[in-house]
Amino acid sequence: MPQADIAHSATGAAPSQSPWKFLRLHFEFARVGFVNTLAYRLRYYTGIVTYFIYVSVYYFIWKAIYEHSVSIEGFDFAHLLTYIGVGWIIRSLYFNNIDQDLAYQVIEGRLAMDLIKPVNIQFMYVARAAGEAVFRLALLTIPTGVVLFLVYPLRPPASWGNAAAFLVSVGFSFLIVAAINFAVGTFALRLQSILGLLRAKFFLLELFSGLLLPMTFFPHAVQKILDLMPFQYISYIPMLIYLGKLHGGGLARAMSIQVFWVAVLMAIGDGLWRWSTGKLIIQGG
Amino acid sequence: MPPIIEVQGLTKEFRTFRRREGVLGALQNLFVREYLTVHAVDHVSFSIERGEMVGYIGANGAGKSTTIKVLTGILSPTGGRVISNGFVPYRERRHYTKHIGVVFGQRTQLWWDIAVIESFKLLKEIYEIPEPDFRKRLDVFSELLNLKEYLHTPVRKLSLGERMRCDLAASLLHNPPLLFLDEPTIGLDVVAKERIREFLKEINRTEGTTVLLTTHDLSDIEELSRRILIIDKGRILFDGDLEQMKNRLAQYNQVKFFLKDRTQIPRLAQIETDGIVCQRVDELTYLIRFDREHHSSAAVIRQIVNTLEVRDLLVEEEPIEEIVKRIYLKGEVA
Repeated sequence: MPQADIAHSATGAAPSQSPWKFLRLHFEFARVGFVNTLAYRLRYYTGIVTYFIYVSVYYFIWKAIYEHSVSIEGFDFAHLLTYIGVGWIIRSLYFNNIDQDLAYQVIEGRLAMDLIKPVNIQFMYVARAAGEAVFRLALLTIPTGVVLFLVYPLRPPASWGNAAAFLVSVGFSFLIVAAINFAVGTFALRLQSILGLLRAKFFLLELFSGLLLPMTFFPHAVQKILDLMPFQYISYIPMLIYLGKLHGGGLARAMSIQVFWVAVLMAIGDGLWRWSTGKLIIQGG
Repeated sequence: MPPIIEVQGLTKEFRTFRRREGVLGALQNLFVREYLTVHAVDHVSFSIERGEMVGYIGANGAGKSTTIKVLTGILSPTGGRVISNGFVPYRERRHYTKHIGVVFGQRTQLWWDIAVIESFKLLKEIYEIPEPDFRKRLDVFSELLNLKEYLHTPVRKLSLGERMRCDLAASLLHNPPLLFLDEPTIGLDVVAKERIREFLKEINRTEGTTVLLTTHDLSDIEELSRRILIIDKGRILFDGDLEQMKNRLAQYNQVKFFLKDRTQIPRLAQIETDGIVCQRVDELTYLIRFDREHHSSAAVIRQIVNTLEVRDLLVEEEPIEEIVKRIYLKGEVA
């Protein structure tokens, strides 16, 4: 049927994606992520309480520790409280579930539905998580921030410039976490059940991102090793920017390293994805 | 023109490990694993021409879905060569999937929590479908599949039949030359099945779309495809058209007859000679199944009408379900 064939989309033509089309498509993915999250609104109201409790626990712990000293490792109590409080506020934004999403997609045998679409799976997942992040910003991050700033004496950003750099830096934090989660999630394709692995990753990130305590509180040798890893660029670095402990050249350098890690981690995720799909087992059917 | 799909020696092995039973077995499993290799698909070869509609059937676990998954770029094979629409599916997944349509009857490719039309719009972006083409096809599909009422309903609220129609429309919005359907009529009622079959015929006729479908419902095959591929335990058992299959593999013909009245019943025994057995369907309806090689239909009919007074009489070929059942059970084409 040669005449019918002309009407069909051309075979062999590469998907010619202009940057504009790429953005529009991924904006659409983000929108779907946003709309899908609407169904789980309730989870976020309880989230506000959870985050408040976390910060309160750390408030009392650090208050007890600071009874006997004015400053630890260059942080006075007000600084440290802000570090912890704002650290949890931004966590509510950069946190995402790409790893779990992938794991469940594999467990429930739905990954095939992603694979039949001519899209970059990693970008699709990251875009969808970004849509969810916008949702969380409105329903979790901002309300949690308001509550915490009202209840505890948290400090504002060191300057307007720092505030702006801080916001951009949190954006990179989101991308770093998303890239790590995607990379870890790809293991679900080979191992089937990775929920244990995901728990391990969860605690690793909590500790090494600087969420629980600043990197300077770690032993020197450990700091040296962690300097070479992406984790502290998730929470520690944005918080240093917020507190005004990074500026000028140091700030530019820190944010460049964030960008570097986004690129490297995404490349690793892409490599792992290719490696895993070669050995894919789809559940069911 | 070369075939649109060429499969040569396709083999897919899965390595699963054998779980030992009990506590000791579980502990043993942690350290020493015994692997079993399962040949889901074993040196399968076939080719499909443009515009064909081919039915791909086999018992559960025969290797149908694995074949479809390799052909749609989801799985990479252990061995063999696959060229589909000019691509090696699993190597060039993103380029390849742009030009195929896929429906898995058991799952949906639509987004669960958003309205159907939103999913369609997202697919428009994914496949870069020009606006006028998108509008035109959406109109045609809405009409043919009767989608209008629930375009604005989230997928999770649709019934299975409605969802399947939406999935079918979704798979064809970008007008792919090649469509893969994995059990597209599973769980659907008669009317819904009929509508989907009519739609597929229409698309095949007007767009020349090549269709490969797996199914357990053989009436799908009878309605849609002239050609049938039967796979069992990973091997192709039969590849040819339906008529050919019936001619070659049907062993029985059957004659169904309706007696004029009860007085005829005692005389039934008289025709039960030479290995012919009457089966009772109801009081006045009987069925004779006979080997095609030993008896001719004409002879059997003559015997019946000479002996009995019958109101009506029907000669039927062995139903294709029966033929296929025999193939599945025997695991070979005799």
